[in-house]
Amino acid sequence: MGLAAGNRKVAEILNSTRKEGRRELMELESKRVLAAWGVPVNRTELARDISEAVKVAREVRYPIVLKIASPDIIHKSEAKGVKVGLSSELELRQSFGDLIDNARVYKPDAKILGVTIQEYLPPAREVIVGALQDPSFGATVMFGLGGVWVEVLEDISFRLAPLSAEDAREMIQEIKGYQVLAGIRGTPPADVGALVDIIQKVGQLAHEFSEIAEMDLNPIFTFDDGKGAVVADARIILVESG
Amino acid sequence: MYNEVKAIFEPKSVVLVGASDGVREGIVSPAFFHSLVHNMHRFFKGKIHVVDLSGKLEGAIKNLNRVPRGRDLAVVVLPPKLVMKNWRNLLNLVIKAIVLVAGGFDQQQREKLARGVAKRKVCILGPNATAGVINTSNGLCATLERGFMPSRGGIAVISQDSAVGMAILDWARFYGVGVGKFASTGDSVDVTEADLLEFLMHDKETKVICIYLQTVRDGRRFLGLIREAVRKKPVVVMKGGTAQDERDKIFAASLKQVGAIRVGIVEELLGVADALAKQPPMPGDRVAVVTNVDGAATLVADALSRKGFALAKLSDKVTKKITRKYQDINIVEWVDLGIGAKDDRYKFVLEQVLSDHGVDGVVVINELKLSFLEPEDVQAIAEVAEKSKDKPVVSVTVAGGAGVLVREAVKGKNVPVYDSPEKAVRALDALRSYWKTRTRVEKGA
Repeated sequence: MGLAAGNRKVAEILNSTRKEGRRELMELESKRVLAAWGVPVNRTELARDISEAVKVAREVRYPIVLKIASPDIIHKSEAKGVKVGLSSELELRQSFGDLIDNARVYKPDAKILGVTIQEYLPPAREVIVGALQDPSFGATVMFGLGGVWVEVLEDISFRLAPLSAEDAREMIQEIKGYQVLAGIRGTPPADVGALVDIIQKVGQLAHEFSEIAEMDLNPIFTFDDGKGAVVADARIILVESG
Repeated sequence: MYNEVKAIFEPKSVVLVGASDGVREGIVSPAFFHSLVHNMHRFFKGKIHVVDLSGKLEGAIKNLNRVPRGRDLAVVVLPPKLVMKNWRNLLNLVIKAIVLVAGGFDQQQREKLARGVAKRKVCILGPNATAGVINTSNGLCATLERGFMPSRGGIAVISQDSAVGMAILDWARFYGVGVGKFASTGDSVDVTEADLLEFLMHDKETKVICIYLQTVRDGRRFLGLIREAVRKKPVVVMKGGTAQDERDKIFAASLKQVGAIRVGIVEELLGVADALAKQPPMPGDRVAVVTNVDGAATLVADALSRKGFALAKLSDKVTKKITRKYQDINIVEWVDLGIGAKDDRYKFVLEQVLSDHGVDGVVVINELKLSFLEPEDVQAIAEVAEKSKDKPVVSVTVAGGAGVLVREAVKGKNVPVYDSPEKAVRALDALRSYWKTRTRVEKGA
């Protein structure tokens, strides 16, 4: 997708979310935005019922990840709305029903669109890239390692957008847990270059679309050097309209 | 804005407006006005007019209308009510800048002030710019501490807060650190720290710009200006009120991104600024330590290691040159000159060490000399330091009293002197950081 086309596509998704009176994009929408902007995401397709799910899963190929798709459910794990690593149609049929039931229990009035069928990613080092609009500095990008590194150790770094490749590389190297990415005890280094690219793109996106209040790409699966990095889940929140 | 801001620091003519009568309503301290008049008469080299609305001060004009028009700068020490009452007259009097010293202006009054200057080419510093403006090169001393004038130097200080600004100047005097220009911005209805930064980055007399902030206004422009300024000279930033600020991490990162050097406390600000004003940026991590006592060098080496510096290993050539001339000099981790080292030794060894390609900077220790410090010894250090154009030299003592003596002995010379290894190493760290910024800028340009 060309730059202008990407730009149009992003604007289109943001506008349609807004038109529906929502500020929070669903995972599927968030990933479409990122994909249009050139950020690699794992393949994610909507299936409205079980027969669609079966069909889509065949295209995506097993193993797959199944997640509830609802504009009213943001914390999908909390709603028991995620199944990872389903390897057959049998498992899919079982899980599909479970996910829908769980969602109804979690939030009876939630509008449920169905599920997303997602490409399963092999284990990798997980990182988080986020963006926010700072009231005095504007678009700002955040980086950290996933899990306890961010939540407990608050080991995160920031830079203002737009960022140069050097800025992005510095913010990756600045976190205390950087060794995890550089490679310790014989593990090969992670694909930091791919992260640099994602960080720069996220920064550019937040910089050009100031109606994006927050972005959270969490987790991003970072493979060994040369093998890329892929966004496995994402959230985009728009600023309050006014 | 540039020319108006220039007039804040470089006016040819200044009107001082106040009311000497303390009984008048709303005047916090008439002593401020007296100090201002005293300071300006004592130090300022340009033309001064004094207007005392109370009509009691000897030699002062009573009426604003009787001051010749077209003055560059007015420094006004009047409470809000009297400023507003005389606002039109003040605007008519001045063609470039007005410093409003008093605080306590309400929103409506502030808006009126801003509107008043918007149409003309006049700028306002303040209100609440209590610490005023200082320029040591033309003697402009529009500040309220009586007789307070820093020594001359290449450091410019901008402070949003007046009390912290004065504290910085006070410590500068304590440590003999020279200051060129100072301004407190106060409530900034018009001129902001960003405007001052824009002026100072082009100011030839200013070698280093120091900024004390409590709130960041117009963050993007401010950071953009820092990015521009560091191409010419280092910018040191200190911010107060960070304890409760969750966004401080973002501020810290953005300062780093644009190449500013951030400091946490006033002493650190001055130590770092002094080094940046007096010594060249540091092109690497390898530090040679030249000392007359072993123990102090041990502590300096520890401090260096904590900041990611390495002890430089001198080349055989330089080592031989030194030991051939002074056989008792011991060179292992550092260069131990011997406790009684005199000026000739310091000079020769420092020159040799600086010529070594494996050295990026030098820390010199001149210790245990409380009772027999010879000024020549330290001056020899200063002499070499002043000649070094591509590698920094900083001087340090571990002892406080000795630090005072060393500082006194090289007062006005271009070598920074510290009274603790941590301070000296922090200074080198700032010089290294500025070298990196410059390299990055040159590469990017």
